[in-house]
Amino acid sequence: MDARGPAVIAAAPTRRRRRRRDALAVVPAALVVAVLFGGALAGAVRASLVPLGGEASLDAWRGLFAAPEFADAAWFTLRVAVMSTVLSAVIAVPLALRVRRSGPFVRSLLALPVPVPHLLVAVVAVLWLAPGGLAERLLGGLPFTLTRDEAGLGIVAVYVYKEVPFLLVLLLAALGRGHSNREEATAALGLTPLQRLRWVTWPTIRAPLVLGCTVVFAYVMGAFEVPLAVGPTYPQTLAEYAYASTQGDLLAGQATAAATLLITACVSIGLAVIAMRAARDAQGA
Amino acid sequence: MALPLGALVVRAFADEWRAPALVPQDLGLRGVRLAFTGEAASAFMNSLEVALLTVAVALALAWPAARALGERRLRRPGPVFLLLAAPLLVPSYAIGSGLNEWLIRLGLDGSTLALVVGHLTFVLPYTIVVLLSGFGPRLTALEEMASTAGLSPVRRFLLVTVRSAAPTIGAAALLGFLVSWSDYGTSLAVGAGQPMLPLVLLPFVGSDPQVAASLSLLFLAPAVAALAVAVRAGRRPL
Repeated sequence: MDARGPAVIAAAPTRRRRRRRDALAVVPAALVVAVLFGGALAGAVRASLVPLGGEASLDAWRGLFAAPEFADAAWFTLRVAVMSTVLSAVIAVPLALRVRRSGPFVRSLLALPVPVPHLLVAVVAVLWLAPGGLAERLLGGLPFTLTRDEAGLGIVAVYVYKEVPFLLVLLLAALGRGHSNREEATAALGLTPLQRLRWVTWPTIRAPLVLGCTVVFAYVMGAFEVPLAVGPTYPQTLAEYAYASTQGDLLAGQATAAATLLITACVSIGLAVIAMRAARDAQGA
Repeated sequence: MALPLGALVVRAFADEWRAPALVPQDLGLRGVRLAFTGEAASAFMNSLEVALLTVAVALALAWPAARALGERRLRRPGPVFLLLAAPLLVPSYAIGSGLNEWLIRLGLDGSTLALVVGHLTFVLPYTIVVLLSGFGPRLTALEEMASTAGLSPVRRFLLVTVRSAAPTIGAAALLGFLVSWSDYGTSLAVGAGQPMLPLVLLPFVGSDPQVAASLSLLFLAPAVAALAVAVRAGRRPL
């Protein structure tokens, strides 16, 4: 008789039981996120279709696409989000390559703004950059306005200050020892620095960069404490527009706000799907 | 970093600081007094309470999930990660106002529970993602050694598991706390006018910079304290 026979037979149900236990471990957390997130989306859809005390209608959606303020807010938000994301990435990538061999002190110093709340950075930006602010007092006048400017450059500045360190942390985690070893190996093979950048470094940082940029873009699209603190009164960001509509009209405002926020969410999710797919395809190639 | 924040401290204690002067005309505690009285004071306590409760619930829920994901025990973790990423892509104001539709019907809007539930939607994914990096074959091997050495499950959990994963637990708790503490959109939507620190702080940015600066220092305090504790506990930065 085969001595391993009974052992193998006994192991099968144990393995299956363990599989089930492993899957069950994820259930509480996954269920909470699914219920809360799904509930939030369902609530937003409901709010956009059924105004308080009214009957279901598409009025909020129709009104939204007819409102010039909404179109202005959408373009303004998209522009600020693209500028903040692209600028942060353009600064973070060379910076990460420059400091990747630096010690923990330099890295910690550069990562310092990560835990600082966005709103706090906005307060400091107003203190320094507003008309009559400290920068103007020191220099005797600024050649540009960065707070409440219609182009939203102040908002972009605050986000870049916050997001460059965030991207830097992600990139430096990817540029660890494995990458250094690969780079040394290719240097020994006689690859030029440009070739090494293209064939060794870029594949290493692409996935975390895309992930980080997606998170940054989604955050800028949806957050509104920074635009409220340093942004112009017009145009507004989409989140500001949503909030303002709840203040204007108590009954229809909730529906307009919900529809606006759902559109914002769809843009962010759609972009995330495209970005992730692009990163994966490039990885597979 | 130090210079801009230093200016914030000076601004908080400057009762009078008119342009174009580079030094304040008059120092005083007006801003601090206002920041510690009335709505602002209760806002600090509310924010602290909600952040601590949210982190505690998030850690408890995240623990088993992070273990299973970190030890790669799931056959197909993709859908779970997708689910966890989703709340991070949606405006926090959207999550708040969507949830509020139901919270109003349940008579819960404006309650601490509503705020914790709202924050949990995006704090929980962050907590899991950070926490799972603390689990893996190294920790499993240590636990097996502890069992072989005859440690009871409780002692093994406290002395081996928690001890080894402490830096990661600290980092996860810190990140969760800061995400809840800094949140604006969800608190605005589900808070029903309940004072929370970021909500109370914002209007002062335009109207009274001294109070805004004093509240900003309060706003920054737990971040600095939590960071110091986490760095000491784990002896490695975030």
